[in-house]
Amino acid sequence: MATIIVDSRGTACPGPITDLIRAYRKAANGDLIELLATDVGIKSDAKAWCERTRNELVGITEDAGTYKAVIRIVSKRGMA
Amino acid sequence: MKRIIVIGGGTGGAVVANGLARHLKKEIRKGEVSVTVFDGAKFHEFQPAYLAVAFHGSNENAIRRPTSSLLSSSVRLVDENCSKIDLANKFVVGERSGKRSDFEYAAIAVGCIPDPSQIPGLSEANLDFHTSNHAKKIFDRISKFQGGKIVTGIAGLPYKCPPSPNESTFLLHEFFTKRGMREKVGLCFITPYLRPYPAEPMSEVIEPLYKERKIETLLGFNVESVDPIRKIVYSMEGESVSYDELFLVPPHITPDVIRRSEFSDSDGWVIANKRDLHVKDYDYAFAIGDNTNLPISKAGVEAHLEGVVVANNIAAEIKGTSERYLFTGRFQCTMETGFRKATFVVGTYDKPVKKIRPSFTNYVQKKIMAKIYWNAELGRCEWLFRMNFGRDYYDTISNGKTAAPAMSPMGQ
Ligand SMILES: Cc1cc2nc3c(=O)[nH]c(=O)nc-3n(C[C@H](O)[C@H](O)[C@H](O)COP(=O)(O)OP(=O)(O)OC[C@H]3O[C@@H](n4cnc5c(N)ncnc54)[C@H](O)[C@@H]3O)c2cc1C
Repeated sequence: MATIIVDSRGTACPGPITDLIRAYRKAANGDLIELLATDVGIKSDAKAWCERTRNELVGITEDAGTYKAVIRIVSKRGMA
Repeated sequence: MKRIIVIGGGTGGAVVANGLARHLKKEIRKGEVSVTVFDGAKFHEFQPAYLAVAFHGSNENAIRRPTSSLLSSSVRLVDENCSKIDLANKFVVGERSGKRSDFEYAAIAVGCIPDPSQIPGLSEANLDFHTSNHAKKIFDRISKFQGGKIVTGIAGLPYKCPPSPNESTFLLHEFFTKRGMREKVGLCFITPYLRPYPAEPMSEVIEPLYKERKIETLLGFNVESVDPIRKIVYSMEGESVSYDELFLVPPHITPDVIRRSEFSDSDGWVIANKRDLHVKDYDYAFAIGDNTNLPISKAGVEAHLEGVVVANNIAAEIKGTSERYLFTGRFQCTMETGFRKATFVVGTYDKPVKKIRPSFTNYVQKKIMAKIYWNAELGRCEWLFRMNFGRDYYDTISNGKTAAPAMSPMGQ
């Protein structure tokens, strides 16, 4: 089980969600994706993305203008 | 003698080579500078027109010209690809000849290509209008189509020209409507994004059109595999969609020569500075166009404007002049929405995509862009680009100060 750090700071929508989707393709169930972004849109996008893909949003925090969304990958079929 | 090598003579490579030929005319004539382009492709294609070949049945020969015809006479073309680019030791190796060529400056512009092999079953099942020889096949298929379900959309990221999957869907709607058989054809658009267009303002333009035209959308659908026998696309989360014809845009990759290099990131994209475009810590090597890891969409307008920046900066360094340009991140992709209307997806690093409604005027502008493409590659339309892109054309940096360019329509 790996933690994948995705740094999308400085990119505007749809940069962070694009980076998340790319990281998701390589991730396996059980992995954590830590998505860093400065675009505030990531707060609603990460939540909606987890709901839609049935992955788990562990939490979203903010520190000095950087948002960190932590997502646990649980929904991939056929992958342990 | 300063030897400049441009690797790739497509949209960005031709602009940088021709720009260098203009800026360094005297130096080239005196034998102090040489500009050489490496490209094994005999023809340079105007890629946006693949859509017209696939969905309007346009003549595929009209969208290509010999690579040599798009380069200034003072640029030398070596008609082979590079099999190695060694930036630390400043040389490239020709793929066919095995010959080593040394350089003082290099610009890397080898583009990117669809890679359906990343998704099991996709190569067998799919035709994609991002691949030159598929475009004509798509038109043949839709011309014979009697009815059923066509699935379009995005099979994986990244890919070039973000609106092109949406555009393909609109053009299919137009095609079958004009044939009087739209009700026999189900159109389904699949995307890993949560909106029909990744950026919200453009999605607000597209969504009502999809609804009105009865185009089904499957959002947040991450393609995992395709079963070409049973004609089913599976998502990573276990959903599926069946099809009669499949026209998805595959994820793209850079050519081997980049993926094997020490200057690409873990996904194989050239690590480039987003403003002055130098590669990693090599201040004599630059990357432009689709092969970079820049955090913007992959499109020809970027490749062009990056070419303007790099040509200026290499020439300025050789001539010892001070004005350096910086890339603004400007992108501009056309999206035809059918029935002679089009919109544009426009933005920069700092300006998010805005909402532009489809109009006939935009459609005409798209057609004009296609007409002037060849002249633009030869550097004959910079005055128009400068006028059109205004403050986004490039930033300038002079004596440490950044500013937008002066808006004279006189070219560079
Ligand atoms: C369907 C479609 C629609 C599009 N619509 C738009 C649009 O509306 N607006 C827009 O701005 N852009 C659009 N684009 C994107 C645009 O065409 C590309 O982004 C642009 O061509 C990129 O330029 P480039 O120089 O990076 O790469 P390319 O133009 O692809 O050129 C790369 C060159 O490198 C050469 N090469 C490859 N490997 C090597 C090697 N090892 N050594 C030497 N040479 C090599 C190739 O032969 C090629 O000539 C569209 C693309 C498609 C497919």
